[in-house]
Amino acid sequence: MAPRNKTVPPGDAPRVIDQGSVWILVAAPSIWAAHFLLSYWVAAIWCAKLGRGTTLMEPRWIIAGLGALCIAAIIGLAVLAIRRYGGVFVIIEEITESSERARDRFVGHVALLLCVLSAVAILFTVIPGMVLGEC
Amino acid sequence: MRALGATATLTLLAGCSGRHNWLAAAGEEAQSVETLFWVVLAGAAVIWSLVIGAATYAHRAEAKPHREREARRFIIWGGVVLPVLVVCGLLVWGLLILRHITSDDGALTVRVDGERWWWRVIYDTPEGPVTTANEIRLPLGERTLFKLTADDVIHSFWVPALGGKMDMIPGRETTLALTPRKLGNWGGLCAEFCGGAHALMRFDAVVMEPGAFVRWLEQEARPAQVAEGDRGFAVFEEEGCGACHAIRGTEAQGPVGPDLTHLASRDKLGAGIYAMTPDNMARWITDTHEMKPDIDMPAYPGLQGERLDALVSFLMSLE
Ligand code: HEC
Ligand SMILES: [Cu+2]
Repeated sequence: MAPRNKTVPPGDAPRVIDQGSVWILVAAPSIWAAHFLLSYWVAAIWCAKLGRGTTLMEPRWIIAGLGALCIAAIIGLAVLAIRRYGGVFVIIEEITESSERARDRFVGHVALLLCVLSAVAILFTVIPGMVLGEC
Repeated sequence: MRALGATATLTLLAGCSGRHNWLAAAGEEAQSVETLFWVVLAGAAVIWSLVIGAATYAHRAEAKPHREREARRFIIWGGVVLPVLVVCGLLVWGLLILRHITSDDGALTVRVDGERWWWRVIYDTPEGPVTTANEIRLPLGERTLFKLTADDVIHSFWVPALGGKMDMIPGRETTLALTPRKLGNWGGLCAEFCGGAHALMRFDAVVMEPGAFVRWLEQEARPAQVAEGDRGFAVFEEEGCGACHAIRGTEAQGPVGPDLTHLASRDKLGAGIYAMTPDNMARWITDTHEMKPDIDMPAYPGLQGERLDALVSFLMSLE
């Protein structure tokens, strides 16, 4: 989706995550999904290769480390949502106007909330891994 | 209407009493789940009251603008931070309970194999495995570790008053510990739909004084006392029951159905569903599928009169 925005200097390639584009909405949930899948694979391959009765002592740190990386990426996205889209956590005045600016603010708001949700979801994948370290 | 409400409440309460009641825990593991339940319930009641209170207040109070900063702070702390912390806390608590009740230690190990629709039970003792079925006895106050598996489809092992439940999965071994704190005969059941007679797949979990338990287990380990030339045992052999059932100490070694070595010492017949009486035993053999639909045991309607009586009294003597 090409940015319809006039502030992009001519000659610059359009950025995927910038005003006018809605890709930022799927970014955070996709990071969560990737983390979930990777954790699943790591644990499954670990247990399958090393057999039952082995513990998840080491892979739990891989899962936690991946989690930290993913949460860092999500924080980065949240910063973008605030800086480039003017997103806020709590919308006090309803957004009713039909304009580029209002649409961006709405996308920024939704993206921020999705960032929070995805970060919490990642936490919920990491916690069981840390508490229950068994195949 | 009121009568209907009262009846419904009574029925519900009746459902929550007695030997299947997980809200009157008789074991440590059920107790930890019960405590968690009450805490969650109380917390939910508080949150519900606050939310409804706030809604009522908002509805009644005169509308006037709030300061933006305050409103924002209220939403972020009350709507995001607090719920995340509470849910994380509950998650960790629940996981710790799960870790404790599945951890691999216990004074006694019992292997239970879920079959359609009965339970194969094997006590691991220093003298070797002791096989029985459809009834589980446990020593009071000791932690018993169950190693669970299934033969055909997924079952689930649950003694609500003592603890659980835990899935029994073909080709896998799951673990569950039970530490009974009250003497009694508690009800156990399969908690995962597993086909036709699923609702009739039950067992008794009998909690005994440790001394009595040791004596019971010793008795259970002994082979059956079958008199030379016993008429009932002859019928048992002629009818081919031994192809499916084992009676230790005899030729009968079939692994398909429940071990019958000490059948009559069980409180119930047919996986926890009928009283162990000669009448029920006779009907079990002649009208098998009326007693328990779909099961893998053939009915023997032709077995009547003196031969049936001899077989029944032989089975009832297997103590
Ligand atoms: C084809 C195998 C098969 C044959 C043959 C068979 N049974 Fe069974 N029997 C079973 C199975 C399976 C069960 C468990 C059914 C259930 O509860 O789901 C069972 C259950 C029982 C039980 C109840 C056990 C308990 O723990 O309560 C008794 C008693 C019994 N059989 C007696 C007999 C007698 C007596 C005969 C011969 C006349 C016989 N069976 C023949 C398969 C067989
Ligand atoms: Cu079952």
